[in-house]
Amino acid sequence: MQPKSPPNPIRRQLLTSITSLLGFVGVIFAAIPFLSAFKPSARAEAAGAPVKVNISKLSPGELMTVEWRGMPVFVYKVSSEAQNALSADKSKLADPNSDQQQQPEYAQNDTRSRKKGIAVVKGVCTHLGCAPKFYPEATSQDFDPNWQGGFFCPCHGSKFDLAGRVYANVPAPTNLEVPPHYFETDSTLVIGSDGAS
Amino acid sequence: MTTDTRTKRFLSWIDFRFPLTEVFERHLSKYPAPTNLNIWYLFGFLLIVVLAMQIVTGLWLMMNYTNSAEEAFSSVEYIMRDVEYGWLIRYMHAAGASAFFALIYLHMFRGMMYGSYQKPRELIWLGGWFTYLILMAEGFTGYVLPWGQMSFWAAQVIISLFSSIPVVGEDLATWIRGDYLVSGITLSRLFAFHVVLLPILLIAIVFFHILALHEIGSNNPDGIDVKKHLDEDGVPLDTKPFFPYDISHDIFALGVFLIIFCSVVFFFPTGGGYIIEYVNYEPANPLSTPAHIVPSWYYTPFYAMLRAVDFPLFGLTAKFLGFATMMAAVAIFAVLPWLDRSPVKSIKYKGILSKTFLGIFVVSFFALCYLGMVPPTETKTLLSKIFTLGYFSYFLLMPIYTRIEKCKPVPERVAEA
Amino acid sequence: MKLLVFLAFAFFSGLSISAGDYKCGSIECYEFSPDTKDKESLQRGLSAYMNYCYGCHSLKYSRYKRVAEDLSIPLDIYEQNLIFDDSKIGDLMHISLKESKAIELLGAKPPDLTLEARLRSPEWVYTYLDTFYEDSSRPYGVNNKVYVNVSMPHVLEDIQLELSEEEYDRYIADITNFLTYVSDPSAETRKQLGIYVILFLLIFTAFAYLVYREFKKDLK
Repeated sequence: MQPKSPPNPIRRQLLTSITSLLGFVGVIFAAIPFLSAFKPSARAEAAGAPVKVNISKLSPGELMTVEWRGMPVFVYKVSSEAQNALSADKSKLADPNSDQQQQPEYAQNDTRSRKKGIAVVKGVCTHLGCAPKFYPEATSQDFDPNWQGGFFCPCHGSKFDLAGRVYANVPAPTNLEVPPHYFETDSTLVIGSDGAS
Repeated sequence: MTTDTRTKRFLSWIDFRFPLTEVFERHLSKYPAPTNLNIWYLFGFLLIVVLAMQIVTGLWLMMNYTNSAEEAFSSVEYIMRDVEYGWLIRYMHAAGASAFFALIYLHMFRGMMYGSYQKPRELIWLGGWFTYLILMAEGFTGYVLPWGQMSFWAAQVIISLFSSIPVVGEDLATWIRGDYLVSGITLSRLFAFHVVLLPILLIAIVFFHILALHEIGSNNPDGIDVKKHLDEDGVPLDTKPFFPYDISHDIFALGVFLIIFCSVVFFFPTGGGYIIEYVNYEPANPLSTPAHIVPSWYYTPFYAMLRAVDFPLFGLTAKFLGFATMMAAVAIFAVLPWLDRSPVKSIKYKGILSKTFLGIFVVSFFALCYLGMVPPTETKTLLSKIFTLGYFSYFLLMPIYTRIEKCKPVPERVAEA
Repeated sequence: MKLLVFLAFAFFSGLSISAGDYKCGSIECYEFSPDTKDKESLQRGLSAYMNYCYGCHSLKYSRYKRVAEDLSIPLDIYEQNLIFDDSKIGDLMHISLKESKAIELLGAKPPDLTLEARLRSPEWVYTYLDTFYEDSSRPYGVNNKVYVNVSMPHVLEDIQLELSEEEYDRYIADITNFLTYVSDPSAETRKQLGIYVILFLLIFTAFAYLVYREFKKDLK
């Protein structure tokens, strides 16, 4: 038997279309739980909860690596001379004023810090995710004879200054990210939360 | 160029390299299905849907499940609580297992009723039987994974069954376990079977089953050979194309099925203990057997047979004989095509004896299903014995009763039926 | 091997190892239907559980935060009042009592109760909490009609003496409600979502039926 021409083709077409549409909507709805299940679970969320760090013993030039959500977060002190230098010479930087949203609003300043003198940046290169190396001293380096201090990524040679700002003409496109953080007391840093205020 | 001609050109580009349109038309849109197919012919489609659902939900469960004795139980609770919608995915998978068995039993019964196993559909039937075997293995291995009390003791008991085999049994059971008692090692290998080996086999056999079916064509409730009368294009006159006639029926059936299925998943996810046993909410404890343990409902008929054989015979132990009876009850489906000597396929045209024995089979199956669930008493064990005989009489006496009974003539065309 | 044969036999013969044929030990369960929608009852149950049961019985598959959110308790209030150790709000509800210490003190490891209401049934939990009685032959001087020869003291004894019978029944009903909730925390969401799913499927199936009937006309 071959398909026949229906007595009322419009009715037939309409019913088929509505049912197909409903079926399509149903499949979309059915996909929601499966896609949602890929979100971080309660366990991952608990593991990614804010981390408290005691910074009272942090010495100048020392890099403290804190694990937050499985990522390294760098915490280090920036001397006042270095702070001045960060504000003074911005000619070689790609985004000197941190216009790209790579930091919370409170860290959109020349030192990209919430509290002057203490830097908190994610140790994840914005190029392809390697952990950059810390070269705090302003001395000549193999990769840069005029090195002013900052980070150098060993993977593809991206360079960042002490505020985590990326230099122009390197593979990394943006500044290092500053994670949300606040200072509970002078010596207690909380990474992963903007704090109550 | 309109989109219509563009699509056509793209399709012809593909078709030149791969028979896409041909495969689509042959196996789906133009597949000729007999015009007299009834409600019993919907379960195959639903089984495919359930298989797909089990694969998808299983994949998602596997992402979050841990297959070690220490963490399996808590990883299931992790899925149920910490993973967003994890509870839904797990309940779907658990209820899906029961749905799978319910549908496959209906599908098998359809084949038995309408003689769909008869020549030339023996290989289709064998493929289906093999699917059923693998499904039973899937059900068992999956049952062990949550590593609750039921999981552990079911594994313990089922694997111990193999130790009843004379001479090699003891070593065989140890070999299957990979340990002297069911342990994390056993769990890991059952997990590997459940998620890799058995699903691959299942998909391959289902593929074979459908390919073989589409070669021969579907049987129908009257057992009429529709290929005898063709139209000028060589399409059987008593068939209709799958699109739109069968697909519209199947989609409607899917809607009804999903209403039932979702009612269970959302409102009775444990199915009163038949889908997820309450005892399984206690982590596996090798030192204490739970008070009441019964297998899942879809195994209980065979379990009742195992219990029914409580006597040694010909020097073989009751334990082994019970095991052998249980295995035989599953295996005997495979030889069904060669037991049936009837000249007609469908029960509609078979004689009174075939109808009676099929009736005896159905009653025995349900009775054994019930008897396998309840604690045994002397009367119940006697009943189990009787119904086990009833179950096997359908098969073993079939060569006799199908030959001696008088059948009705099968009409030439569907319209005459 | 003999052990296995015995176990197999025990399984196959459906031997009942537990005492009695009642669902609640030596007696019939009391009538009780849990209400996990009553948030105030759940909050009272949680508070009672944390004060009287949580010393020994963990809820280790559940997280503080989930309980706080599901029971509409603000996180900071929960953290201050209902977390007794240095656990964080996102942590699993483990107790500080170590297993070895528990065995030394009590002679057995008190079971985790996250899934108790599903394992036993809410009726069982309710009846259990209501049927402690004096029995000087037992180590703590009490026995239980549901869990015969239970190795646990009657921790709610003071409460039971202090409250009227009616108040005590409500008190244990709160605990039972809470345990029922925590055994299946997604139950309420599930039922709500289920209604929408079924409604959608009914509409879909209705249209699918019309399509089926429409095409069936051709076959006549």
